[in-house]
Amino acid sequence: MKIQNLSFFLLLLLFWGCREPFEPEIEARDLNVLVVEGYLDSEGLSSNLRLSFTSNIQDEFNFNPSALGATVYLESSSGARYSLLERGEGIYEFQHDIPENETYQLRIFLNDGTSYTSSDLKPVITPEIIDVGFEQNEAGVEVFLTTKGNPDADDFLWTYEETWAFRPPIISFDKYDPELKRIIPRPAEERIDLCYRSALNSDLILETSSRFQDQFVFRQSIKQINRGDERLSLRYSILISQKALSKDAVEFWEILKKNTDDLGSIFSPLPSNIRGNIKQDQNPDVPVIGQVSLGKVQQKRLFIDIREVAPWRPEVPEYAGCFLSADTVLVANYDAVFRSEINIPALPIYLENAIEPIGYRYSTPRCVDCTRRGTNIRPDFWEE
Amino acid sequence: MNKRLLIALLGVFCLSFGLAEAQTQEKITGLFAGVSFERFAELIEKETSYRFVFDPKLMEEVSVNIQAKEGKLDDLLIAIFQGSSWKFSIAADNRVFITSGRKMPIEFVRGYFEPKNQVSKLATDQQEDLGAFARNMRYEIGKDKEDPAQKTAVLSGKVSNIENGEPMLGTVIYENIGFQKSITDENGYYQITLPKGRHTLIIQNPGGYQEQRQIELFGNGVLNMEVQESFLSLDEVVVSSGALSNINKLEMGVQSISMAEVKRLPAILGEVDVLRGILTMPGVNTVGEASVGFNVRGGAADQNLILYNQSTVFNPAHVFGFFSAFNPDMVAGVELYKGSVPVNYGGRLSSVLQVSPKFGRSDKIGGSGGIGIMTGRLSLEGPIGEKTTFILGGRSTYSDWALNLLDDEAALNGSRASFYDFNANVRHIFNEKNHLEVTSYISKDEFAFDPDTTYSYQNLNVAATWRHFYNEQLEARFTAGYDAYQFGIIGQDNPLNAFDFNFDVKQVHLRTDWEYRKDLNHIYKFGLHAIQYQLNPGTNNPFGTESIVIPQDLENEQARELAIYFGDEWTINERLSVSYGGRYMLYQFYGPNTVKEYVPGAPIIESNLTGERNFGKGETIQTYHGPEFRLSGRYNLTNQSSIKAGFTTTRQNIHLLSNTSVIAPTDSWKLSDSYIKPQTGGQFSLGYYQNIGVTKFEFSSEVYYRYMSNILDYRSGASIILNEDIEQDVFNSLGRAYGIEFLLKKNTGILKGSLAYTYSRSLLRTSDEPSIEKINQGAFYSSNFDQPHHVVLVANYELSKRINASLNGNYSTGRPVTLPISKFEYGGSERVYFSDRNAYRIPDYFRVDLSVNLEGNHKVKKLAHSSWSVGVYNVLGRSNPYSVYYTPVEGKLRGYQLSIFAKPIPFITYNFRF
Repeated sequence: MKIQNLSFFLLLLLFWGCREPFEPEIEARDLNVLVVEGYLDSEGLSSNLRLSFTSNIQDEFNFNPSALGATVYLESSSGARYSLLERGEGIYEFQHDIPENETYQLRIFLNDGTSYTSSDLKPVITPEIIDVGFEQNEAGVEVFLTTKGNPDADDFLWTYEETWAFRPPIISFDKYDPELKRIIPRPAEERIDLCYRSALNSDLILETSSRFQDQFVFRQSIKQINRGDERLSLRYSILISQKALSKDAVEFWEILKKNTDDLGSIFSPLPSNIRGNIKQDQNPDVPVIGQVSLGKVQQKRLFIDIREVAPWRPEVPEYAGCFLSADTVLVANYDAVFRSEINIPALPIYLENAIEPIGYRYSTPRCVDCTRRGTNIRPDFWEE
Repeated sequence: MNKRLLIALLGVFCLSFGLAEAQTQEKITGLFAGVSFERFAELIEKETSYRFVFDPKLMEEVSVNIQAKEGKLDDLLIAIFQGSSWKFSIAADNRVFITSGRKMPIEFVRGYFEPKNQVSKLATDQQEDLGAFARNMRYEIGKDKEDPAQKTAVLSGKVSNIENGEPMLGTVIYENIGFQKSITDENGYYQITLPKGRHTLIIQNPGGYQEQRQIELFGNGVLNMEVQESFLSLDEVVVSSGALSNINKLEMGVQSISMAEVKRLPAILGEVDVLRGILTMPGVNTVGEASVGFNVRGGAADQNLILYNQSTVFNPAHVFGFFSAFNPDMVAGVELYKGSVPVNYGGRLSSVLQVSPKFGRSDKIGGSGGIGIMTGRLSLEGPIGEKTTFILGGRSTYSDWALNLLDDEAALNGSRASFYDFNANVRHIFNEKNHLEVTSYISKDEFAFDPDTTYSYQNLNVAATWRHFYNEQLEARFTAGYDAYQFGIIGQDNPLNAFDFNFDVKQVHLRTDWEYRKDLNHIYKFGLHAIQYQLNPGTNNPFGTESIVIPQDLENEQARELAIYFGDEWTINERLSVSYGGRYMLYQFYGPNTVKEYVPGAPIIESNLTGERNFGKGETIQTYHGPEFRLSGRYNLTNQSSIKAGFTTTRQNIHLLSNTSVIAPTDSWKLSDSYIKPQTGGQFSLGYYQNIGVTKFEFSSEVYYRYMSNILDYRSGASIILNEDIEQDVFNSLGRAYGIEFLLKKNTGILKGSLAYTYSRSLLRTSDEPSIEKINQGAFYSSNFDQPHHVVLVANYELSKRINASLNGNYSTGRPVTLPISKFEYGGSERVYFSDRNAYRIPDYFRVDLSVNLEGNHKVKKLAHSSWSVGVYNVLGRSNPYSVYYTPVEGKLRGYQLSIFAKPIPFITYNFRF
């Protein structure tokens, strides 16, 4: 059941209310809380554990200090140890195929002398994703997923990664070569007319399959792409990860979700203190944030092509006001106009029956260069 | 003193002076209500040959409230100076000397009376002196021969309003020598036991206006009195425990507020709000402006027993708390017991709010109503035949016009809010000894903030009370009633997931209350209360044909509660009286129900689940029982001051499940069961009461300490709606609260008002029982309504008898909040880490309201009375934060404080009465 987040205050705001910045003085204590994030794959695929610390909420920068130089391993109840390898920036890689009938503990030794232990972890085998698909609706396109739970895997968490191909509003295949002082075609690795952009989602989609008949989760909504979104301007890909969660992990993710979603409307529940399944050995009362899980992640990728949803006209705010220059830059002026790379030649202008253009019309890199917003390297998984 | 003002004040009264030439002493006739002594003297001098000699500065504080008809000046002055240190002497040349303390010695003294001597004098001779005043007509009561051995006799009767025949509640009747007293109940009845013989009874009207009656008591008898009500309050029945009763009243921590006082308070949206009046009292606060749920002495909002007559009102608010559920036209007055709860109330931990219903007037059909910005109300009352009176009243929002204005705002498209409530009260007097009263209340609210989700809730209350007076000593009341509350949510966000959620709680109650006045010194109260609860914790059904929501129906809960009580108000001597008593409460939670069983002694969590047990229909699942003690005492230090002490314990079997800091529409009630234990608590209190300048100022101060246990707290992320295993998501907390309250009140004069200051704390701690989560590592932390400093100033200035201006100032420490203190990356996004529970506070709260009430003329007889009320809420326009929240803006978390009434809000209401 979905109960709408009550936003009565909005109504009041419009009547008489007001919203003002609030910057309380936060006591500088306990701000450096260890954060542990990771879903370790139990079947030998590479997976990452990230160790970092919280930063002050008033910090301007999105900088969360990483925990470097830590020793991390997974220990089974029978005493076997599986190490995680430090990959820098707080990332520790796990790549072991471990027996699924044992219980495990994750142990973390920081270089400040403190150590941390997770509660008992049992690998949870996530059932397969039955189907991913999409359908068009009034607002645009909805991506959905169908799966089926079982007695061992009742609660699910879905996350996804998106990638899409896009073109800038003004296409250019050429560039100005300041040494040759002429305009040459761009080599393939320098192309700026087709790029790929990726986004990690921040949504946490949680569902309990036992709420449905036969634990059959039918067409669970994963992502809504609204009309005009650039994602579907050429071709779009979404990789959906399905993770079955243990009961205590559900609580952690729900608190995380609640703490993110319900901040301060009149009737929102009291914020919850988030912890997880990791405790400091030296002092169990020291807060540690993080829910480490062990198991198998199921993934499925979906491609949507513009032809499947056409007509689709992208409206990209970043490209507002992009025009080709009205005047043509003649060959003689190339160096003056294009050397500084403030302007990029886009459209060659030919005289009738001529082979060489007499000049170029141009635009700014913002409107021409797609690598400013993405990468021109086609991802490995990309299928045309 | 502004004389023009005074003249204007008096302009509304008819004065007539007569000179009886044949007699040596000039007779005076006139009504002097609330005038200064200086003005009184001026008026007398104008009409008679008397000349006053006094110091106007010293006499500034003396106000005159007297009605004279062919009266002598002596008697008038005796009455005026009664209880004060002023003395007077009338010289032969008709010069009148007023002195303080000692009488001015004069050679040819006339009318040398000390107030105390008057009665003995009256009792012996000079019968012709009696009756000189209309009010001094002597009433002979009782039959001499009835029971000559008995030294005392019981006088009882009814005090009603001369204007409309309505009973006068809260009028103090006292005898001016022995100071035996009685206060009229909501039906205007009083009973007083006096020695046989002559007495002067003072009828202290609420609002400071006094009358008196001379009686000669031969035996038990009845004296009904029709008195003029205070001019200051016009039609409203004033339920103020007068100056006298504040000191002499046995209970402590009792706060009364009259409708007159409530109406003088500036309103939100022009709607007179009874519960807002409660918030002007010390020890009462609220977590936010849009919340009628109030907190008394550090207790949660569900710990207040809110009674409309004998009916429990589960949700005392309309539109989520913007309006109180009570129609001001249907309320005679409210009384809040926050200290020693009388023995005849029980079932809630913190306080009892007794809202006294209005019953119809007996003289003629009349009505009243009001038109405000958003709501209108209308009531009709009057007699049906000789013995029956009725009152009907309703309120409603007009339409959603205000919200419709917002229709262009896409975010709020489809917002609507509406409510209505309706009261019907009937009283039938079979005979002197048998009365029947029926009160009923129904309300419905419905609102939506988007077109997809509709919220609604309903209150329904009906109760019938039969009062039977066996004899002068023994009175009984039998009440049967039914209370129900329900709320529902219909969500149509997505046709596939459309749902219809419902919650309801019902209770049938039977109660009998007895009062036995043994002799002068004992009032015994005893009785039996029985409640049967039926509660549906939640049902969820698919809404519409497309919906695939699985119907869910949580098992109904049922329980019975039985309480017996006995109490005695024992007047040990003139100075000392005590009240002691107790209740014994038996509570049973019974089947049919299925109860989950957990590993004993371990936290109640799913992994400790061992099985479940089915209970059949009527089978007792869990029994709780225990005593409640009520003890209080009063010692009069002087006539003008007293100290009181009290100890009260209480039990509560029904809990409000609320995961938010204010009462929300999704809050549901829960009966105590195998795992959720009744809340228990106790309170010690000590108070000092002092009148300053006779009744001019009233000062009181109380200190208290409370302890509470089995207060429900919630696990992180606990969901309340449709939770079949709520016991897994709650755990018990212990609470403690303490504080000191000061109240200074001025009840009379042109400037009236009160100033209240409270210092209080309210703290909670997760109990030591096994539980999965210990909030703040098991240390004490501030509750959601821990607001240490709280100041309320209420002032009302009478510009004239028809225009008065009010000011209401309110300051309190900001309420505690849990703040996000740091941030971290998780699950692909920036997240916030919250501080310890309630470790920070929102900024302090400060608000000032102004209003002006304009009354029509004050003729008793006219077609319709009308009044206007205009004002401004939050004059300073201060944006008091209601809550704070954090939201990501351009990838960074920004904190915002949200104010609800951030601007001055003007309002206007037109009220009428016919």
